[in-house]
Amino acid sequence: MIYVLYVIISFICIYTARHYWFTLNRLFAFQRHPYIDIDTADWPPVTILVAAHNEEKVVANILSALMTVKYPADKMLVVPVNDRSTDRTREIIDEFVVRFPGRIRPFHRVTGKGGKAAALKDAMENVDTEVILIFDADYIPGAGLIKQLTAPFFDPEVGGVMGRVVPMNCGTNLLTRLLDLERSGGYQVDQQARMNLRLVPQHGGTVAGVRLSALREIGGWNDNSLTEDTDLTYRLLLNGWKTVYQNRSECYEEVPETWAVRIKQIMRWAKGHNQAMVTYGLRLLLGKHRASFRERIDGTLLLGVYIMAPVTLLGWALALAVFYEGIAPLHGVIALLSLTAYAAIGNLAAFFEIAAAVRLDGNQRRICLLPFLILGFTVSIFSVSRAAFSQVKDALTGAEFHWDKTERFRKAAS
Amino acid sequence: VNPLVALAVLLCLAGSLFMLPLVPALLELHRKSDARPLNVIQQHAGEIKHFADGFRSYIKGLEPILRESLNSQAAVFGTLPDGTDYLVLGRGDEALRLPLKEEDGLCPMLIATSSNLVLPPDITFSKDIYAGGEFVGGMKNQYRAILGEKEVHLNSESCVMRWVHAVGDFQADPGCELYGRISSDRHIRLESGCSFRRLNAPRIEIGEAGNADLPSAAASPNPAGYASTRRLLLDGNFDIPAGEVFLGNLVVRGVLHIGSKARVQGSVKGDKGVVLDEGVAVEGSLMSASKMRIGANCDIHGPVIAERDIVIESGTHCGTASQHTTVSAPSIEVQEGVVVFGTLWAREHGQVAERA
Repeated sequence: MIYVLYVIISFICIYTARHYWFTLNRLFAFQRHPYIDIDTADWPPVTILVAAHNEEKVVANILSALMTVKYPADKMLVVPVNDRSTDRTREIIDEFVVRFPGRIRPFHRVTGKGGKAAALKDAMENVDTEVILIFDADYIPGAGLIKQLTAPFFDPEVGGVMGRVVPMNCGTNLLTRLLDLERSGGYQVDQQARMNLRLVPQHGGTVAGVRLSALREIGGWNDNSLTEDTDLTYRLLLNGWKTVYQNRSECYEEVPETWAVRIKQIMRWAKGHNQAMVTYGLRLLLGKHRASFRERIDGTLLLGVYIMAPVTLLGWALALAVFYEGIAPLHGVIALLSLTAYAAIGNLAAFFEIAAAVRLDGNQRRICLLPFLILGFTVSIFSVSRAAFSQVKDALTGAEFHWDKTERFRKAAS
Repeated sequence: VNPLVALAVLLCLAGSLFMLPLVPALLELHRKSDARPLNVIQQHAGEIKHFADGFRSYIKGLEPILRESLNSQAAVFGTLPDGTDYLVLGRGDEALRLPLKEEDGLCPMLIATSSNLVLPPDITFSKDIYAGGEFVGGMKNQYRAILGEKEVHLNSESCVMRWVHAVGDFQADPGCELYGRISSDRHIRLESGCSFRRLNAPRIEIGEAGNADLPSAAASPNPAGYASTRRLLLDGNFDIPAGEVFLGNLVVRGVLHIGSKARVQGSVKGDKGVVLDEGVAVEGSLMSASKMRIGANCDIHGPVIAERDIVIESGTHCGTASQHTTVSAPSIEVQEGVVVFGTLWAREHGQVAERA
């Protein structure tokens, strides 16, 4: 029992060190933004896929925004991927098609497999440009975003691009404020540090892009994947394509405003991530492919982030069991030192990362909310653990995954 | 003391201590003093002319005075609503006679004129300058910002701190230091010894550029950087021999060397460096995750990006008159005779060097 606990503690220490490494890199090291200066170019044709499933509240906003971005209109085609919507999504899209002739080619999907990856896969028949950008329907791109996300594709090594997601409804309630802090840490520190260190920035599947030839080379969208973005990140990596992160390519999104929606969202992410871990973990770490040594290590750690939740829960249970069993190596000195060290340093790592991100963003008083993150982390750790257990159960019983669309909270555009 | 009371007090104290870190959090949650979304720029795309456009709007309030001053040929001193002192000149050459300079060599006024503007030397202009006609600045002047509706010419060893936009040509004589953004709707020319950060114009000439208008032999109907979708990924260093033609995109995990007069019909990248010998043509983009050296008389159509530094030798053209492009790196050294069509952007330092 104690040895299992040692292994778990070792993993926790590795992730703690990783948090510090990323944060210190972000604070003090050279920041890589190699493509952000490309402001003048012979811009290539792009197709912008807008994934929309029952998005009547938000789809008009993104289409309006895309029609005003600064990108040559004759080189930009918007393809709203209306995936079996039963609300007014189709009607709204068709209104835009009439208003902007030749600039929007809708893909109305009425049957087929559920899920974003399946919808994108079917929509590929409408795509013949080398650069494909992808947005979820609740995002609102700014004027310069399309150029910024397209610029990295001038680099022939780049297969995928990821921009930064910024919550626009962050002031709504405690949950949205906590999610705002989490997003800040995740993008401003985590993703940018991975970019700086030439590790594995993660493709997020929205505010993102993919190169058509790279996508074809890796076999297209994987509609069996629960999170097509993570799946794409790893297949690109294994085939020698880089995914790059553009921290200054920011785009507003809407974050969940209720805990129930948030829990569903994070459970889906956890299941998809764990699926990718099982599919690609060993191959990435030990297989023969084009990823560098540091990409192998970081990519494997990235695959493990969601499974660490049940592992941590197990560690807590084992620690209690070890305590009540009276197993105390070196008369409890190691335990005491470990506990003290972890309380002083380990617990702080994620908070330090988020605090650094908030400061880098130039924000001030929202940093006071950091203690409340314990609440967010507690909910996440139990939700993610529940997702992992249900995933194991589903695998054993052969149950199929049910796709839950994330509920929107914005009022429909008039 | 009643043990129950003691326990209750202890619990209250412990609870209070536990809640103490949450007090600022609860206050912030209630007050929402910092609850607005991160400011994401939605309306503009970081255009180089952003500040010039803003300044043009700012001085709209001076238009009647500019007209009046032009008609009367008189100088007008005044103060704008935000407290900025200004000098509007009826005749631009009047600036040579007026006592613009204070004892410390500073001219703290916004200067504007609808006609040509000629400024005396050795002055630091701490406010923006507007010239409705041609602008000629004296030697060793320091400027905050200049908007010129026609040509802008900076005499040698001048310094610009923020931006210049010229609707006509822009020229900087030897030894000028150009911090910030320099843009022209037509043409920029920098002489030897100039340093720069961000330049943008349909055509940027470094020194005497020779015949830069000739159409390139490697002209392609494809967008620059997308000449091919076939990609070759190689570990280690790689050489494209002199005179060879490489078709497709090439990624080299080591140093990429392209021999003289070789031609790449695609985009190329070297993770540990890129070296181009003389006369190389690249139809697509040229990327390096490290350093880059571009030899003389090369012809690059797509973006040229290096994550450390770039040296560009004389006679090289980046972009074409019809396909503008970006050349960017933290540090760039360009020799006289180089022509860039589009943007030349040195994040930390750009320097014009004499021909080798």
